[in-house]
Amino acid sequence: MARDVNLNSLQELEREVILQVLYRDQAVQNIEEERIRKLKTHLQHLRWKGAKSVSPEYKEKSCARCQRELGLLLNRGAVCKGCSHRVCSECRVFLRKTSAWKCTVCFEDRNVKIKTGEWFFEERAKKFPTEGKHGTAGAKLLQSYQELSKISVVPPTPPPLSESQCSSSSNRLQELGQFKGFNKSVENLFLSVTTHMKKLSKSQNDMTSDKQLRATGPRQCAGRTERRSQSDTAINVTTRKASMPDILKPLNQESPRRLTSPVLKQEDLSSRPTPSAFFSGGLRHASLISINSTCTEMGNFDNANITGEIEFALRYCFKTCSLEICIKACKNLAYGEEKKKKCNPYVKTYLLPDRSSQGKRKTGVQKNTVDPTFQETLKYQVEPSQLGARWLQVSVWHLGTLTRRVFLGEVTIPLATWDFEDSTTQCFCWYPLRAKAEKLEDSILPSNGELEVRAKLVFPAGPRKLQEAQEGTDQPSPNGQLCFVVLGAKNLPVRSDGTLNSFVKGCLTLPDQHKLKLKSPVAKKQACPQWKHSFVFNGVSPSQLRQSSLELTVWDQAIFGVNDRLLGEARLGSKEDGAAGEDSGSPSERQWQKVLSSPNLWTDMTLILH
Amino acid sequence: MASATDSRYGQKESSDQNFDYMFKILIIGNSSVGKTSFLFRYADDSFTPAFVSTVGIDFKVKTIYRNDKRIKLQIWDTAGQERYRTITTAYYRGAMGFILMYDITNEESFNAVQDWSTQIKTYSWDNAQVLLVGNKCDMEDERVVSSERGRQLADHLGFEFFEASAKDNINVKQTFERLVDVICEKMSESLDTADPAVTGAKQGPQLTDQQAPPHQDCAC
Ligand SMILES: Nc1nc2c(ncn2[C@@H]2O[C@H](COP(=O)(O)OP(=O)(O)OP(=O)(O)O)[C@@H](O)[C@H]2O)c(=O)[nH]1
Ligand SMILES: [Mg+2]
Repeated sequence: MARDVNLNSLQELEREVILQVLYRDQAVQNIEEERIRKLKTHLQHLRWKGAKSVSPEYKEKSCARCQRELGLLLNRGAVCKGCSHRVCSECRVFLRKTSAWKCTVCFEDRNVKIKTGEWFFEERAKKFPTEGKHGTAGAKLLQSYQELSKISVVPPTPPPLSESQCSSSSNRLQELGQFKGFNKSVENLFLSVTTHMKKLSKSQNDMTSDKQLRATGPRQCAGRTERRSQSDTAINVTTRKASMPDILKPLNQESPRRLTSPVLKQEDLSSRPTPSAFFSGGLRHASLISINSTCTEMGNFDNANITGEIEFALRYCFKTCSLEICIKACKNLAYGEEKKKKCNPYVKTYLLPDRSSQGKRKTGVQKNTVDPTFQETLKYQVEPSQLGARWLQVSVWHLGTLTRRVFLGEVTIPLATWDFEDSTTQCFCWYPLRAKAEKLEDSILPSNGELEVRAKLVFPAGPRKLQEAQEGTDQPSPNGQLCFVVLGAKNLPVRSDGTLNSFVKGCLTLPDQHKLKLKSPVAKKQACPQWKHSFVFNGVSPSQLRQSSLELTVWDQAIFGVNDRLLGEARLGSKEDGAAGEDSGSPSERQWQKVLSSPNLWTDMTLILH
Repeated sequence: MASATDSRYGQKESSDQNFDYMFKILIIGNSSVGKTSFLFRYADDSFTPAFVSTVGIDFKVKTIYRNDKRIKLQIWDTAGQERYRTITTAYYRGAMGFILMYDITNEESFNAVQDWSTQIKTYSWDNAQVLLVGNKCDMEDERVVSSERGRQLADHLGFEFFEASAKDNINVKQTFERLVDVICEKMSESLDTADPAVTGAKQGPQLTDQQAPPHQDCAC
């Protein structure tokens, strides 16, 4: 059925006429895709918010939507035919002129399917299962054309599309009368068509769509990457001193004498890197070398030699709303401790984006094998409507001595595309293990903005301390200090009036679960607040910090001071496992590692708020 | 016909203000039956007697308001000439609905309807909505295809039927709006098939805020 369609058989003039149409179509498509992307982000956000409030234990006798208790005789609730959940009468939406209803979540799902045209793609997939959603005929034609004829044409800026009046250029041959000279270069043809179209579109003043069209012109894949790249930049403070806010100056310029004294010692250290080399701090080149060596020595987040596969099966029971992951075995795993040829593997799962300990499931630990057999089933209670917003992450870990964990590889499966209804997808299957997915969290969670921060570990790096560190004594040195400057935030979910009265809370959870909490002043009436506020956490040591986590939350102050609104949160440092570097894949985690491993140096970070 | 369906939409005005979606529609039929003229009449409210055969494909965008709902239509005008067939059929897959047109003064164009219908069955999704349109009904004197034959064929093929004139602006708007309506019905149906109570019921894609009938509370 898939015929090879291309523009080859057409005469040059015809081809140009059709190309014009294709480019116009592409502009329409770009706008449409952007609209759909926004809708989906919004929905995922809703789902993710819902997910937080749903208790992991699904209670039979409570409404699946509002968690209200259901009675035995009165207000028993009824089962939604969409998701098979029992919901109370409040959480139902009735379809027009019928007594049929859907629960609130299924109804929202339905709305989104309508708005995105998803319903059509689903229907169409019944006949053309291989057809992608967005590969329109026009896009394919354009692609084949661009591949076949390597002419360097600058496509015209499409005219603004006025909705009711329709885009202007008709491709009737009659209008082509003005392009009589068939030999004219293609550029000229495009040029004249463009001016022709521009003339026609002058009268329209739909400036917004004009801008949008320019930004997402033909043949560019709209600026998707722009925002992401911001979070990747780790700018060393030394190159940015000039632009530093005043508030930071005293912190940055402190006691240079103390730092420069043990110069000889440092050089000595850098040539012989040890896990503790980074305590030397002071000299930049020295500390840079030590960062690398530190990471490899610790081994925890060395993804270099991930090998092997994992075998598991995935089932979902719509009746009980339970997702079952049957972990069967692994083979050819890398050694957790390469030198000792030791490997005590176990498997851990999360239903991302939930990374809480409640959402964690683990198998037992197998001893001394790189080909372990588990035969264990890990279960989650999750509603069908939630599945689409989740990613199953299956990771394999080595449990070393002193509960040290080594990452052995992972598999991540987006459940949105998983067909739970198809029995063939329920079979056991081998999946190759991979290194930590880069920025997974950032790419799957809708961002609620970015928080600009700057951090430094202030640590009295006297010779005595260095000695201690070298000897490997890991005693807490209560003189340490974590300086954390909350610079500002942008792209926050603002109020309807476009402003916020925002503030930041910082909570440092130490390994003994002791919490140090600090709060910034409120930045009034600002959409992009600039707090430039320093949090100073006193009495912490680097080794403590490596097992601590810092949670930063941005809030919008409630008008009457009752319920402040959570705008977003970012987390740095170790997770509930207490294993440093377990999730070191994301840029912010790497930057955090850098803060910890280069004391007395400022590190700038852009944290994505979720 | 169209007026009967209007009441079905938009009872609840405020609940879905920004309801906004896009339908893709394809116009097909023999060359010179008046496809381009039909689209120009609908989108620009213009008509030219001169015949300029369409090269390949073209489209226009028009947003209509069905009561509360903004529906953006991308209407594809295809060339009737055989030589463009590979390009035009490539667009069938993206279309939710079709306007299949013939010329009431042209027997051959009517005879081709069956073939066009087969093309739809081959290249489009299974629930493609099709309206059969006999164009140029202003030219009563030169009519060779009676309304009755048109209607019969439409019934046979399972399509709805209109006679229209791009020149005199007869049934143009109605044709498009009816097609939008049947696509909406298909959409509701496909979304609610899991629910036998809803299938086939006449409901638009919106909700009411009516309360549950009491017995529903006990249904399980
Ligand atoms: N009297 C009359 N003439 C019409 C009507 N609609 C179109 N025409 C004329 O029929 C001729 C063909 O019209 P087009 O719309 O270009 O035909 P088409 O179906 O687009 O043809 P292709 O592009 O070749 O597939 C033109 O001369 C139009 O003026 C109508 O409703 N009444
Ligand atoms: Mg035409």
